[in-house]
Amino acid sequence: MTPQDRSRDVVQGTLDMLVLKALSLTPMHGWGITNRIGQITKGVLTVNPGSLYPALERLQDRGWITADWQTTESGRNAKYYRLTAAGRRRLGTETAFWRRMAAAIEAVLRTT
Amino acid sequence: MNLASLLRRRLRALFRRSTVEREMNNELAFHFELEKQERMRAGASAAEAHRAAMHAFGGVDHVKEAYRDARGTRPLENFIQDLRYGIRILLRNPLFAGAAVITLGLGLGATLAVFNVVNGVLLRPLPYRDPERINIIWLALRGDDGNVWTLPLSSGSYSDIERDSRSFAALAAFRAWPYAIAESPDAEREPVAGARVSPALFDVLGVSPAVGRAFTRAEAVPGGPQVALISHDLWQRKFGGRRDIIGKRIYLGDVPFTLTGVMPPGFAFPRGAELPAPFQFGLRTDVWTPLVLDASDVRNYDVQNLVAIGKLPERCGNSECSASVAQAELTEVLRRNIPVNDQPKSAYKLVSMVDQAAERVRRPLFILLGAVAFVLAIAVANVTSLLIGRVHARERELAVRSALGATRGRLARQLVTETLVLCLLGMVVGLTLAFWGTKVMLSLVPGSLPRADDIGFDWRVLSFAGLLALMAALGFGVAAAYAARLRFTRAAVSVSRTRRVLVMTEVALSLILLVGAGLLTRSFISLQQVRPGFDPSNALTARVSIPVVGRPQPLVDGVRWSATFDQIMARLASAPGIVAAGGVVTLPMSGAVEYGGVRPVGKVYENGQNPSAQLQIVAGDYFGAARIHLVAGRVFDTSDDEPGRASMIVNRKFARMHYGSEADALGREVTALFEWARDRPPRVIVGVVDDVKTVSLDADASPQMYVPLSQLPAFALTLVVRVSGADPLAALPLVRQTVHEVNASATLKEIRTFESVVADSLARQRFSMMLIATFAVLALVLAFVGLYGVLALIVGQRRREIGVRLALGATPESVVRALLGEGARVVAMGVAIGLAGAFALTRVLSSMLYGVSTTDGSTFAGAAAFVGLVALLATWIPARRASQVDPRTALAAE
Repeated sequence: MTPQDRSRDVVQGTLDMLVLKALSLTPMHGWGITNRIGQITKGVLTVNPGSLYPALERLQDRGWITADWQTTESGRNAKYYRLTAAGRRRLGTETAFWRRMAAAIEAVLRTT
Repeated sequence: MNLASLLRRRLRALFRRSTVEREMNNELAFHFELEKQERMRAGASAAEAHRAAMHAFGGVDHVKEAYRDARGTRPLENFIQDLRYGIRILLRNPLFAGAAVITLGLGLGATLAVFNVVNGVLLRPLPYRDPERINIIWLALRGDDGNVWTLPLSSGSYSDIERDSRSFAALAAFRAWPYAIAESPDAEREPVAGARVSPALFDVLGVSPAVGRAFTRAEAVPGGPQVALISHDLWQRKFGGRRDIIGKRIYLGDVPFTLTGVMPPGFAFPRGAELPAPFQFGLRTDVWTPLVLDASDVRNYDVQNLVAIGKLPERCGNSECSASVAQAELTEVLRRNIPVNDQPKSAYKLVSMVDQAAERVRRPLFILLGAVAFVLAIAVANVTSLLIGRVHARERELAVRSALGATRGRLARQLVTETLVLCLLGMVVGLTLAFWGTKVMLSLVPGSLPRADDIGFDWRVLSFAGLLALMAALGFGVAAAYAARLRFTRAAVSVSRTRRVLVMTEVALSLILLVGAGLLTRSFISLQQVRPGFDPSNALTARVSIPVVGRPQPLVDGVRWSATFDQIMARLASAPGIVAAGGVVTLPMSGAVEYGGVRPVGKVYENGQNPSAQLQIVAGDYFGAARIHLVAGRVFDTSDDEPGRASMIVNRKFARMHYGSEADALGREVTALFEWARDRPPRVIVGVVDDVKTVSLDADASPQMYVPLSQLPAFALTLVVRVSGADPLAALPLVRQTVHEVNASATLKEIRTFESVVADSLARQRFSMMLIATFAVLALVLAFVGLYGVLALIVGQRRREIGVRLALGATPESVVRALLGEGARVVAMGVAIGLAGAFALTRVLSSMLYGVSTTDGSTFAGAAAFVGLVALLATWIPARRASQVDPRTALAAE
């Protein structure tokens, strides 16, 4: 596996945080979430459906997101996921954790 | 995390599966569509966009599977799927399923029925508070021959203990007292089992009345009020459960009693089967009245008629209270109150209520449990063999599923689930059989199984059933999975070897059971051939009681009692169809026994060392009615009824023991220590009769003595009426009418033929024999089916080979012989192992056998021959069928 290949998959353990973050602005359907993550990371991170949908089930089990069926602007039925209050709190702790993590890794990389 | 919503999601995934699936398909299709549109917007053609979207998606089925896995219901879904599949497979093979379920049901049913009885009699706590602290106090008396007799207490001994002992938290005494109950003085009386009890009995047992109150100490004093308690059962039956009866009058005999309360449902202490038979407690006690001891009772050490029961305190100092410490203290009390000379060989002995109830039946019940475990083992072996056969038949299906990606664990799980379905069905059949089986078992031992009331399905029985079913399911599943693995590795030989070993085990186990059943049957037959010293055929027995007001006073009422009985028997003797009529206070083989001390005149005994003999008080022509053979002298006649006469008849054993021979006993004088009137002169031996077995057919007769009722009056005796016709019960209306004509308030109960009295005394032996025989037959049938199944399979596998042989000119006979040889090897091994096992195991039966040794050669040989024959028959049927194979079809079938 080359570094290029790896960049296409989300880093282990970050997927939940990315999904919660993507949903923090507005409720979205599954493809919307994929697309949003692609946009935010400028295509560095992509989420494939085989990881996304199981993750969405998991997040629902934990009570961080809920899902309901809504009509899209184009008149189709789609399942929209939205953040719950618990999910928003979780996003806060996840964000703080990843900030510390990123800083730590940055510090490691800076030492020579 | 919200548990309720999680549960809702899981349940939705399980029970709205198709909706959930449709939603998933829609969602993924929508996702795919957007992905594709995105690419087309970027300028790709429809075909290119489709392909690229496909690539990005990474395989639709793969995504769906990951999605489904995330629902978290996968293991349960698999289980349900397996369950459905298992049931479908079973339904598709009703013959296999039926055979397995019935076999398993029979094995489990027999086991659960026996366990149910063992549980009720031995495992369940007695229905009293803290039963382990309740003890019965006996007087242990060492006899001249070294045997220890356990006797109840005299009222004197009991009073000493009650006054002096500090070992008990509560102490009570009780004795059996037959009553005849009626609601009003002129209503018909119903004989009921009653007991006179100390008020403290209810404290000892920790049971209080369900309605009303128990009697108080103030009511149990001489001259106190007449009060009574009745059982819940009697309350319902006799008084329709009316509450207004409490505090009102009822009649016991002719005496009005105030009913103070009703005991809780099920309470029937003392229950006869839990205490030694001679005390004549009813099977269930229905009426309780206070036991009153007056000043003369407190000093009476001669009549031992009280059962004493005590509850040890919870703590004694820092440790738990021990029965042995209490026992030592009691013996100290004994020494203080009775001069050492008078009681040189006696001591008190404590027996816990639990042991008292169960000790006589513990061993036979455990033997039965062991025997039934063999049946279960055979059933399990059969089902295992059937399952292995099934796996063999499903080889193709299992191979296909394995090829389609089912892991070995997944297949094993599938097989275990299927066997679980089988075992649960087997358990349902088993519990049903056990329910009825328990009833049948109890009907075999009417009245002689202690704690029969305590038997019933409870959590112990149900969890035992569940445990057995679960263990069986796991065992079968693993065996089947193992067989499946063997199949895949083409080790077909091992499979049939496993089945052969199973069949061999079945043959061995059923032989062991059959030997056990054979020994018990032979013992039972030799018991029935025992000559009891009397002739029980063509005789009716019935207990007649004359109601007694208050304390029985033989010196006052004796003449009246004796006249009543004489009149009854004289009228009966002259009635048509009746050969002889007599009476006896303690009927042989009925469980009742009475002993009395004697001192043959002219012999010197140290204080308290005088011999005792079994005492029979008789009336009318008892010796003629029971056909007890006169050896020397004469039987009683009217001259013995004259006032002041003191006569006695003894048995041969008594005569030989004390005088050397029967003839030398005649005319000798004996001082009896059991007289009502202290001033009666020594009794003269006027006759010698044959020894009579009174306790049980397998015990030798004791020294016995007979005295006429006119000289030692009693108010109740058992009539023995010998009839000329074949049916003694036909004389019952005549007996009933005669008794009521002579005394309208006398009651009749325990009406049985003398033969059934003797047969009932063998109830426990019959119980063991019939159950073990049933188990042996069941085992043999199961082993037959198992053997047949294996042989049929082997023959099926070798159809082609047999066809070839037949085509090449082999005779059908030679084919049968070859196959029989194959079966015979397995059977011979099984028989050899079974004989060795039986040889090692039958010694546990030794205490239950009479007149046959535990290694009785003919029983062993007979059982082995029978099992061998049955087994060979099971082999012969499929072998014969094989020899009739048409070579052409056999060869074409391949």
